[in-house]
Amino acid sequence: MRNRVREQRTQQGLSQSELAAALGVSRQTVISIEGGRYLPSLPLAFAIARFFDMTVDKMFDPDDEEAGT
Amino acid sequence: MMTFIRPRLRKPLRNALAGTVFAAAWALRGGNAWQLAIVAEVTVLVSAITIYVRAGEDNDEGALAGSRADERQKLLSLRSRALGWNLATVAAFIGLSIAVAVKATWWWPFLVILAVAAFGYLLGLSNYGVAEEIPADDANDGHPARSPVSH
Repeated sequence: MRNRVREQRTQQGLSQSELAAALGVSRQTVISIEGGRYLPSLPLAFAIARFFDMTVDKMFDPDDEEAGT
Repeated sequence: MMTFIRPRLRKPLRNALAGTVFAAAWALRGGNAWQLAIVAEVTVLVSAITIYVRAGEDNDEGALAGSRADERQKLLSLRSRALGWNLATVAAFIGLSIAVAVKATWWWPFLVILAVAAFGYLLGLSNYGVAEEIPADDANDGHPARSPVSH
């Protein structure tokens, strides 16, 4: 499942640590989500989408299999 | 219960406490066992200090040691513990089989481990909702449920 977390984060000029602190997770988890190695829980997915002022389906695209799941 | 203790101190203190109980057991044994009690206590204290130091690291192990794991790290820990417990039960099963085959008297601890594993699994199923009473599908509200194969 592809996601736009890295794209949105870099667009807003945030570091992985800053995003992690804002979401209340570790930097390692942000790295795993960006790399598509970890699918966040529904509450975390909503928190990410809300943080970037997007909808969950725009942030996480289940039809795009480019990145790993 | 441990929320009043700083997260970074929780695991080291828990380990130190468990180790101290074990060391006290050796000390209570009497005779020269007090020497082993001292060795056990020193080992446990070194281990607790090591955990405390590692808890300060910025990685998954540090987060778990420092009791500040997020959802992914908790899942990682849960899966690792499940794997550890699976391996322990496989080892217990092999031990039990060997003990039975050689007519040993030490077969029962293996059986205890397997029984605890089975009980823990059933307790988990019960606790986490498998035994919950499932209400009828509300799509059939007011109408008797029909089997998809009966026409």
